[in-house]
Amino acid sequence: MTEQLSDKSKQALINLLYQLADDDFILAFRGSEWLGLAPHIEEDVAYSSINQDTMGHAAMFYKLLEDLGEGDVDELSHARKSTLRKNAVMLELANGPGHYLKEPNYDWAFTVVRNYYYSQAKKVKIDSLKQSSYKPLADAAVKVSMELYYHLLHWTVWFKQLIQAGGEAKEKMINAIKKAEADFGDVLSLGPLAEDIVQSGFIESETVLTQAFHKRMDPVFQGLSIPYSGRFQQINGKGRYGEHTEELVQALDTINEVYKINPKAVW
Amino acid sequence: MLSSTSKEFYQEYEVFSKRTDTAAMQYQFSLLAPNEELALVFAQENFMRREPVVDIWVVKRSQMRKMTPDERQSLPRLDNKDYRNTKGYGYLKKKWRQYEQDMLDEKEILSWGGKINK
Amino acid sequence: MNQSGSTEQEKYELFMNRIKAGEKIEADDWMPEEYRKVLIKLISMHGISEIMGALPEKEWVPKAPSLKRKLGIMAKVQDEMGHGQLLLRVTEDLMKPLGRTREDIMNDLFTGDLKFHNVFHMEAPTWGDAGLIGWLVDGAAIITQTNMLGASYGPYARALKRICAEEVFHAQHGEAIIMALAEGTEEQKAMVQDAVNRWWEPLLMFFGPGDAKALGTSKQDITAKYGIRTKSNEELRQDFFTKYVPRILSLGLTIPDSTMHYSKEAEQWIYQQPDWAEFKKIVQNKGPKSQERLRLRKLSYENNEWVRKALSPAIDAG
Repeated sequence: MTEQLSDKSKQALINLLYQLADDDFILAFRGSEWLGLAPHIEEDVAYSSINQDTMGHAAMFYKLLEDLGEGDVDELSHARKSTLRKNAVMLELANGPGHYLKEPNYDWAFTVVRNYYYSQAKKVKIDSLKQSSYKPLADAAVKVSMELYYHLLHWTVWFKQLIQAGGEAKEKMINAIKKAEADFGDVLSLGPLAEDIVQSGFIESETVLTQAFHKRMDPVFQGLSIPYSGRFQQINGKGRYGEHTEELVQALDTINEVYKINPKAVW
Repeated sequence: MLSSTSKEFYQEYEVFSKRTDTAAMQYQFSLLAPNEELALVFAQENFMRREPVVDIWVVKRSQMRKMTPDERQSLPRLDNKDYRNTKGYGYLKKKWRQYEQDMLDEKEILSWGGKINK
Repeated sequence: MNQSGSTEQEKYELFMNRIKAGEKIEADDWMPEEYRKVLIKLISMHGISEIMGALPEKEWVPKAPSLKRKLGIMAKVQDEMGHGQLLLRVTEDLMKPLGRTREDIMNDLFTGDLKFHNVFHMEAPTWGDAGLIGWLVDGAAIITQTNMLGASYGPYARALKRICAEEVFHAQHGEAIIMALAEGTEEQKAMVQDAVNRWWEPLLMFFGPGDAKALGTSKQDITAKYGIRTKSNEELRQDFFTKYVPRILSLGLTIPDSTMHYSKEAEQWIYQQPDWAEFKKIVQNKGPKSQERLRLRKLSYENNEWVRKALSPAIDAG
């Protein structure tokens, strides 16, 4: 299949796969930091399943990269420096002040909003990827889509209920929405090779994806009687271009703490 | 001390699930949730994360009329109701043999949904 | 047979006869206060130990050295939380007639009235600990939990059945990590041996003192009387040795107790007793990580209080 790809197309494909893999990987990592600390024991269990699914999706995308000769999946997920990462910055931001082992003052409102926005965007992208011209990617999208349904259901219930609760909860949610939107532009960006990615038919354009996203979000906000801005920024950097925060650098230090002891060893 | 204002968060829900389309609903376990939407969201991954499942019900425990231990005393019954079961009609097998016919027993009758051998 | 109409003594006799006949007691059945109390104590400690036990392994979830290991340990720690959920629900139903809820369980944990297992007060400084906890701590837990699968209290027996089924996965998850390390580089081998050395004493303590003399009191007799467990602490510890000592040695690891051996004459394992005074200190939240882990649990509880407040009373959201 890859033999038929021009060099330009192949580079575009690889770039897109890194975006998809790195997005899921870093968000699942952030989710795994919550383990044991969620607002409710039953939620802790449910949320962990979503993180496992999401890391499983990352593993599928890294495998597609491995098949394209980019290196093995563990090296791709564990050894790459922050400047090589293509994930959206919104997904790498810490869960809140503190460290997962020391004084984790994590923000559940931001976690709900970030995951809700991301699940909606992922749904739009995965639906588009099902028609991808690169068959292995289209096949992966069909599989991911199966599990995404529960993620959306889960985060939609949390998103709506915490806003409908009013008072302090609503206030926290509105603030979290502002924080998420300040870096959400990245999530819907296809990065420096966007044109080639779209021209090769790997996924639809940013404009098409963004419109589909608005179409999903607008009625939800209307139903909740809160304004939907529909305007997103990238204030902490453009992740698709390798621009990342110190928070990602710290996250990677944790992620590869054991791996880097001996990358060649069997663990 | 923790405030008591969040006590209402802990509502009891009973969880039921179906393993396959043809299976009956089965009781799983109970969980705490503030409302039925969240109860449903929690149910799937708390109790069925390793097994196939095709449907889930959650029921608020306060909405279930359960038997009391005393009422459960009404459940045992005497073993004198052969007339309700095939057991009470087993002698027919012998009778039919006199007429050179097989008995239409449970196994035979429940097989009629498929093709009947002529 | 009418339970409500009989005297306390008749109820008690009926209850004991049911237990002797192997019948299961359910949450709303009449039960002696002593039975309720011993169950609450046992199961709330078991449940909160699962919740607190998630924390030492959780340290290694984000750090696990490969995608497969990250996923495996995430699923394993998730199960610990899930076991906590099952056991707390069983406890909560037992506490209901006393007007107590999950909030009270958490409060008791924070005030130190509710204790958690000694092993979860210990440090887990290397990836070797992540493997060792899965292999030997879960191994020890399997020994004690399977001993109660036939418990007279139905809800506990049913929860244990679910838990033990998942423990089989945990044991294999732990074995896989340990095996990779034991077959790996010198550094990796040293990692496992170091973990075995540090965990050996806590593992012996896990089963509790052999007799009442060590700590002054013992719940062993009461739990046996009511058909909750059958084997004594010492019998369970001996079972653990029988199952695990040969396996530990077969991987080329050593046990940090030169007196450890099986005596054919005595038909039991001879070993060095752990420091039971130290054990007593640890379970009183004075272990190396007790306060830090309690702090994590408390912080999560307090920081998220607003979430539980916001969703109480129940709202009808679509």
